[in-house]
Amino acid sequence: MVLKRPPDAGDVLQGTLDMLILRTLVLGAAHGHTIAQAIEQTSGNALDVEQGSLYPALHRLEDRGWLASAWGVSENNRRAKYYRLTAKGRRELAAATGRWRRMTRAIDLILGPETE
Amino acid sequence: MNLRRYTDRVRKDDDLAEEIESHLAHEQDAQSAHGISSEEARRRARLRFGNPRTVRERVWRYRSLPWLDEAARDLRFALRSLARTPGFTVITLLVLAVGIGVNTAVFSVIDAVLLKPLTYPDPQSLVQLVLTTDRGPFPGASIPEFALWSQQRGIFQQIAAFDFGAAGVNLTGSDHPEQLQAIHVTRDYFALFGAPVIAGRTFTAAEDTPNGGHVVVLSYGLWKQRYGGDAGIVGRTIQLEGQPYLVVGVIGRDFVTDTPVDLWIPNQLDLNSHEMVVNYTAVGRLRPGVTLAQANAQLRLAADQYRRTYGQQSLPPGGGFGVVPLQEFLVGNMRTPLLVLLGAVGFVLLIACANVANLLLARASARRRELATRAAIGAGRGQIIRQLLIESLTLALAGGVLGLAIGFLGVRLLLRINPGNIPRISETAPSVGLDLNILLFTLGVSLLTGILFGLIPAVAASRPNLIAILNEGSSRSGTSFRQGKIRAALVVSEVALALILVIGATLLIRTFRKLGEVDPGFTTHNVLTMTMSVSGDRFQTTAPVAQLVREGQDRVEAVPGVVAAGASNCLPLWSGFGMVFDVVGRPKGNSPFTGGAGFYSVSSGYFSSFEIPLLRGRVFTERDDASSPGVVVISQAMARRYWPNGDPLKDRIQIGAGAGPAFAEPPRQVVGIVGDTRSRSVDQNPDPMMYIPLAQMPDGETALNSKVAPLYWIIRTRENPYAVLAPVEAALREASGDLAVAHIRSMDEVEARNIARQRFNMVLLTIFGFSGLLMAAIGVYGVMSYSVQQRTQEMGIRMALGAQAGNLRNLVMGQGMMLALLGVVAGLGGAFWLTRFLASFLFGVKAWDPTAFVLTPLLLCSVALLAVWIPAQRATRVDPMTALRLE
Repeated sequence: MVLKRPPDAGDVLQGTLDMLILRTLVLGAAHGHTIAQAIEQTSGNALDVEQGSLYPALHRLEDRGWLASAWGVSENNRRAKYYRLTAKGRRELAAATGRWRRMTRAIDLILGPETE
Repeated sequence: MNLRRYTDRVRKDDDLAEEIESHLAHEQDAQSAHGISSEEARRRARLRFGNPRTVRERVWRYRSLPWLDEAARDLRFALRSLARTPGFTVITLLVLAVGIGVNTAVFSVIDAVLLKPLTYPDPQSLVQLVLTTDRGPFPGASIPEFALWSQQRGIFQQIAAFDFGAAGVNLTGSDHPEQLQAIHVTRDYFALFGAPVIAGRTFTAAEDTPNGGHVVVLSYGLWKQRYGGDAGIVGRTIQLEGQPYLVVGVIGRDFVTDTPVDLWIPNQLDLNSHEMVVNYTAVGRLRPGVTLAQANAQLRLAADQYRRTYGQQSLPPGGGFGVVPLQEFLVGNMRTPLLVLLGAVGFVLLIACANVANLLLARASARRRELATRAAIGAGRGQIIRQLLIESLTLALAGGVLGLAIGFLGVRLLLRINPGNIPRISETAPSVGLDLNILLFTLGVSLLTGILFGLIPAVAASRPNLIAILNEGSSRSGTSFRQGKIRAALVVSEVALALILVIGATLLIRTFRKLGEVDPGFTTHNVLTMTMSVSGDRFQTTAPVAQLVREGQDRVEAVPGVVAAGASNCLPLWSGFGMVFDVVGRPKGNSPFTGGAGFYSVSSGYFSSFEIPLLRGRVFTERDDASSPGVVVISQAMARRYWPNGDPLKDRIQIGAGAGPAFAEPPRQVVGIVGDTRSRSVDQNPDPMMYIPLAQMPDGETALNSKVAPLYWIIRTRENPYAVLAPVEAALREASGDLAVAHIRSMDEVEARNIARQRFNMVLLTIFGFSGLLMAAIGVYGVMSYSVQQRTQEMGIRMALGAQAGNLRNLVMGQGMMLALLGVVAGLGGAFWLTRFLASFLFGVKAWDPTAFVLTPLLLCSVALLAVWIPAQRATRVDPMTALRLE
């Protein structure tokens, strides 16, 4: 009779979320809210994730050394924590993107061309 | 897992909280752009974000070590839980501490003495050279034997011969004459034992030859005490026995010898000599790769060579040469005592474990409801088990720490009562620490018991029959039947084991008392002894020794308070010589001599000083000197054994026939028979003894004697002997020409030291017996106390139905005593079987001594009675109303 934790929505997308965050930060440093908006917009609102689940990912990435953070002032004149890619992060992004593209191409080939 | 991540988490959490707030604020701004109220904007921001708390929790959990957090929580709970039942906690801690502490202390001491290797470098290649006889290995060596052994270069890396320095040597030439302990060693001695040289050097080969000059090496103690640690002493001379000796070196502090040594003098042996006198002991270091078997085989060949050179009689029939590992030789046959000790340790440990198990089972039983409730609320099995485990571990560790403290104190205590007779204890005394192995072992066993007996009920409690347990009428309505049986069985076995231990202790106590009651055959009260060294050139013939003895005896007897004084070359219960003899005119048959006996040279005052009774004939007077006919006095044992039908006073005996030219003398007339003395040891039957006057010793024998033994003075006083010590010393100084005395001891002290080992054994086993008894009493008390507590409701019903307080008390006591009696009976059975192993330690007491076997069960029963009395009393104080209403 032990209560078990329900599976987190974030777990499912963890790997991909990491990649998306890294991709978003290629263009420059941003704070959490901006990153969330950017992911929503560029994915055409196809990825609907609770904004909150961004933060565990951000912290994890920072602990791994792929991101660096610093407190600053945002465009709304509020305090915000800005994240930026480190050199290590850039390398990881390139590697992860490569892996992703290879995998999707392989799946594509298996699935065959898109039928109407 | 980054540890910094863990320690940083609080700060990071605050950071995150602020970050989330910032995010929400930004989202609220974005929402406000759609022209809605700020509360609505806030609400939508919140929705889009999700639950901030969950997010923080996720990040927190990611940063922490969950098991560490939970363990810390369990630990705090365990401590609270233990504090809530102080009685249980204190008792368990005590039991664990006593069990661990006692065992650790005893084992540390024994380990330091018996099991640790010698402090010399590479000790396992050191061997003692012995003569193998059918009565066991004999360590003495003569010069020809040593010479032959030294030639065995194939097996020995080094070999050295040395004596024991019992003769002492006089430091002269200053206004503080002192008697020093000097041992004579061959040159390789220092290299053999790896003696650390802190100044100068050791002897050269030239110095160890018959004309090698007078050189000496100082010990650290003497160097510090007498010469102030001055390194300039090397190269200067000191005066020994009136002769100058050049100091060539000083040995460092950590060098340990069998007997305490002040300085070393070269043996200067003539290796070609044929002197058969056994004066030395030889130790060798085996070459690397040479095994004991190989060495022994080689030495057997050497023995054959020896016989060819010196004749078939030169070695005992069937005897030869051999080697024994030095450590084994020094420590002696400790196998049986060690086994007995291990047995006792095992028993105490078992009792302690049974006790702890009992206590834990009882506690778990009482908490059945609590554990069931926790499981019902949602604790997993793993969590419950883990929590109980941590509780047991906490107890075990705390008990272990306490045990360490007790062990530490115990070691100090044991060393303090050490009689000084146990080999090597003084060597290691300052450094006997707690033996880590035994501590770990005992701690491990206690931990294991704690875990096992804490776990079993935990596992049982976490099984899902919660409904039954939760619905039980009351936690005080009875105990689980099966667990009750286990606990009863544990108590019975505890009592049995404790009984065996206490019987063993009783036997040893009675042995020790019997030893104390033994009449050694001579007076020990108010008798003072001291030694004087006569190894100098002045005393190499008998006449000056005789004069010294005469004058000394006269002067000392003139001291007020002194009743009688005498001298001898041996001291009963301390040292002794033996000689072979022939009865003149008696056919010897096949054996080379008539017999052998103990051999003392004594002054005329000896017998009266020791109050040894004269049975027939006469003892020595001043007139028995070198110019009068040779006389000998024998002991009654000798008379009985060798003259079963005749009269010894009619015979003459030839002493020392065939022992060598130094012992050659005409036959002596037996003039008297004196009472027997136990001169070897208090627990041995009296040996046949022969006494000759010191003044009548052949010169050669005096010379040999002076190198091997000191002169012992025996002074009997009217009152406390130490009160007249100063005038006696002064009198002896005057008589001897300023020789100093040493080793001043009362005869009582000598006798005590003789039975010191038995005393040590007794103390040891008594400690164990007492601990076992204490723990068994605790066990009985614990079980009965718990049982009464659990049966409060039953007690209440009985009282309500008309039982008197007395009835209840008797009921409880009856049940408790039943357990105890079962234990006693089982223990008696075990004791009957086991006490045979103690047989070699006993004296005057049988292994099935009826007193011990009757008194001890009575003792245990009375202790058990006391232990059940208190819970029984508690049973009578039950208020029936509250008991019945108790839920």
